[in-house]
Amino acid sequence: MGRYLLTRLAFALVLVFVVSSAALLLTRLAPGDFATMQGVDLSVEQREQLRERLGLNRSFAAQYLSWASHAIRFDFGQSMLYSRPVGGLVKERALNTAVLAIMALLFATAIGIPLGIYSGTRSGIGRSLIRVLSVIGVSVPPLIGSLALVFLAARTGWFPVGGMTSAAGIDLTWSQWIADLARHVPLPALALAIPMAAALERLQSEAIESASRERFVAASRARGVDRARSILRHAWPVSLRPVLGLYGVMIGTLFSGSFVVEVVTSWPGLGRLMFDALKARDLFLVAGCAATGALFLAAGTLIADLLLACTDPRVRAGERA
Amino acid sequence: MNRQPRALLSVLLIGVIGFVGWRWYNSASTEQDNATEVVVSEQSTRGGSITVSLRSEPRSFNRLVDRSVPVDMFTFLTNSKLVRVNRATQELEPGIAEKWTVSPDNRTFTLTLRDGVTWSDGTPFTSADVVFTFQAIYDPRVESLLASSMMIGGKPVTVTAPDPKTVTLTMPAPFAPGLELLDNLHLVAKHKYEAALKAGKFAEAIGVATPPPDLATLGPFVLKSYVPGQRIVFDRNPRYWKTDTAGFQLPYLDQVILEIVPDQNAELVRLQSGQFDMLQQNIRPEDIATLRPLEQQGKVRLIDVGASLDPDAFFFNLRSPYWAKDPRRDWITRKEFRQAISHAIDREAFANTVFLGAGVPVWGPITSGNQKWFSPNIQRYGYSQARAKEILAGLGLINRDADAWLEDASGTEAHFTTIAYRGNSSIERGGAVLRDELKKIGIRMDVVPLEQGVVIQRMIKGDFESIMFLYTQSNLDPAINSDFWLSSGSAHIWNMNQPKPATDWEKQIDDLMVTVTSAGDQAERKRAFDGIQKIFAENLPVLYFVTPRLYMATSTRVGGLTPATLRPQLLWNAERMTVRQGR
Repeated sequence: MGRYLLTRLAFALVLVFVVSSAALLLTRLAPGDFATMQGVDLSVEQREQLRERLGLNRSFAAQYLSWASHAIRFDFGQSMLYSRPVGGLVKERALNTAVLAIMALLFATAIGIPLGIYSGTRSGIGRSLIRVLSVIGVSVPPLIGSLALVFLAARTGWFPVGGMTSAAGIDLTWSQWIADLARHVPLPALALAIPMAAALERLQSEAIESASRERFVAASRARGVDRARSILRHAWPVSLRPVLGLYGVMIGTLFSGSFVVEVVTSWPGLGRLMFDALKARDLFLVAGCAATGALFLAAGTLIADLLLACTDPRVRAGERA
Repeated sequence: MNRQPRALLSVLLIGVIGFVGWRWYNSASTEQDNATEVVVSEQSTRGGSITVSLRSEPRSFNRLVDRSVPVDMFTFLTNSKLVRVNRATQELEPGIAEKWTVSPDNRTFTLTLRDGVTWSDGTPFTSADVVFTFQAIYDPRVESLLASSMMIGGKPVTVTAPDPKTVTLTMPAPFAPGLELLDNLHLVAKHKYEAALKAGKFAEAIGVATPPPDLATLGPFVLKSYVPGQRIVFDRNPRYWKTDTAGFQLPYLDQVILEIVPDQNAELVRLQSGQFDMLQQNIRPEDIATLRPLEQQGKVRLIDVGASLDPDAFFFNLRSPYWAKDPRRDWITRKEFRQAISHAIDREAFANTVFLGAGVPVWGPITSGNQKWFSPNIQRYGYSQARAKEILAGLGLINRDADAWLEDASGTEAHFTTIAYRGNSSIERGGAVLRDELKKIGIRMDVVPLEQGVVIQRMIKGDFESIMFLYTQSNLDPAINSDFWLSSGSAHIWNMNQPKPATDWEKQIDDLMVTVTSAGDQAERKRAFDGIQKIFAENLPVLYFVTPRLYMATSTRVGGLTPATLRPQLLWNAERMTVRQGR
């Protein structure tokens, strides 16, 4: 297990380095640089001065080597846009994104898995209704979903329309602040969770339907185990394999920040930061955001694999073999 | 009659006349101010808080090194100027400098500072702070974005402080806008930032990570907190120097909150739901209809601010080397070609399609929003496709092969490509209208929407055929925007940074700009600038079709608003805003 974890950690580090390097390269190759993005307000001399100060007039190789030599020490440089260390900026936003991602995962799991088990093991109108809703949930783009939720919040007043905390947030005690945060989280978390819950429901439903037909489930029923227990204790753990595989991707996607949902619901996360950085051609901030996204993706797949190993004995057996 | 009572009576009479005269003068001045400033819904409530949207994140709080909208908003709320251009009347008015005198050669300005003005940390404000601010602006290590605009003919202004209450500014050359130059000046505290300037760390010293108590400011509000990605909160500055006419200390509000909401739809929803009191910028034409019902219900106030100062611009690349080997070179850079395009566009239809009716036809870069410099008498190209075709035929562009397009004598089709900002709805729609209108006269125009940065990059490089673009004017006075007008200017967008004027008419504009920049007589300056606008309208290096009417949206609980066309249209006078308590 230790060797396995070490291998995965090494893979994660390589992934982070490759993804951030690729982000840096692609941003550099895109037309325009940070100095150009300042518009026509800068004179030719001012623009050149800025390029020189930021090292933008150096060759890509020189720029990359300088960045990489710092990046291997987890120093991703200084943001050109905010004149602050990339590490600090990314940390601030990654925490916000993590809060949102965890809540979205919990919502998606709490909605998608039970509905999937129900629709995969039952027949009738309930199953059909869930399937229709799932298809809608999967098909609706996050932009439309989040806008619909924002309008719903505005109409009903059930949730704040956007933001992470209310304006009085800074004067609140910790407990009040958490309560305030809890009021703001559902809207963006649901916007992220609904398509994922729908995808989980579809996958879980098919997986459990297939697992329910396995002989060991029939054997358990023959031993006198009731239907519900037979499904939950025997069929469900087996059906989790494809579902947990999806979790790896979901964790990576959620934790690297969803730009659309963050913009519409004014959530100050990584997605928004990365978009602003891309627009301004802030090379180092783009690379820092990409590195964080890659790190989350690697961590997500690792967590999913570990969960799979815990739930499916065949995976553990495979590892020993 | 005894002489003594008669003398006493005379003194009394003179005193009464003097007093009445003084009262009359004061009331007349006030009436004049009120006549030009339209205050919307004045309310007498003091205290309270308003929430305003902000579409982007602040990158810095240092106006000397950053020019984005958030830093502008920060500056308007926390800064006081020596003198300022009143956004509503568009006239210069005293600020921290209560009065000034001008030398006969119009080059030296002596300003007297008000008594008792202090920085937000309690340190007295003196003329040394003004001298220090100029030092910081001109320090090459600071790379201040204000440096070039604070220079006259490339030379710095000499600033001295004969005593703590007096500042002397000596211009290196005659400069007609005079103290209007100071409208851009963001004063910085010497006692706070002198060490940082010496250490070469001035830009970072006023950054977003700087703790609020370390930011010494002079404005009506002080920074309370900045939560990245969420909001900037300002509290009332208890040391603010300004009072209202009744002697009450300004500002009226206790707090202003700028909530960062990058999405315009989300911003509008939050205004509709009552979470916002005001939007950062004017609303989109398509949102006016959405807000009308709320206006009728008394929940939202829509304010028509007037014609925008910044119409969308359309221009060709007029650098001759770019077209040297192009078969279209004989007609595409000719002014007649641009005049034909101007005739071909139905500006009323343009306003209805692009701005959904909330637009005003324009014929040049200076719109009626700029009260002082707008010239209504420039050449106008009435909508006439027949006239457009006639001009094109004069250039040899006629339909030679019975298809939909015109061709020149060599058979080259009359076509060109326009690059435009992607994501800017008025520019995208404007591009489509232009393409359709030009199609009617046989010109093929391909519109390529590109990311803003790419458009700017190609414009700077001169790698484009034509561009649809929004050029924002930062000042009303053309002498301060001279980079646009002068052939050597970096914002002379159709042919930037020319070593010498490429055309005769550009040379004429350069010459007239000397008068606009340096003449002491305002009427003479206006005449010269009218001449520039006339030349511009004849040669059309940039075509303008319609400027939007600006509508600002606020909640009805906000009062004391003084709308203006210059940004920030409402917050520029935040010190006088009031709010009705409760939502």
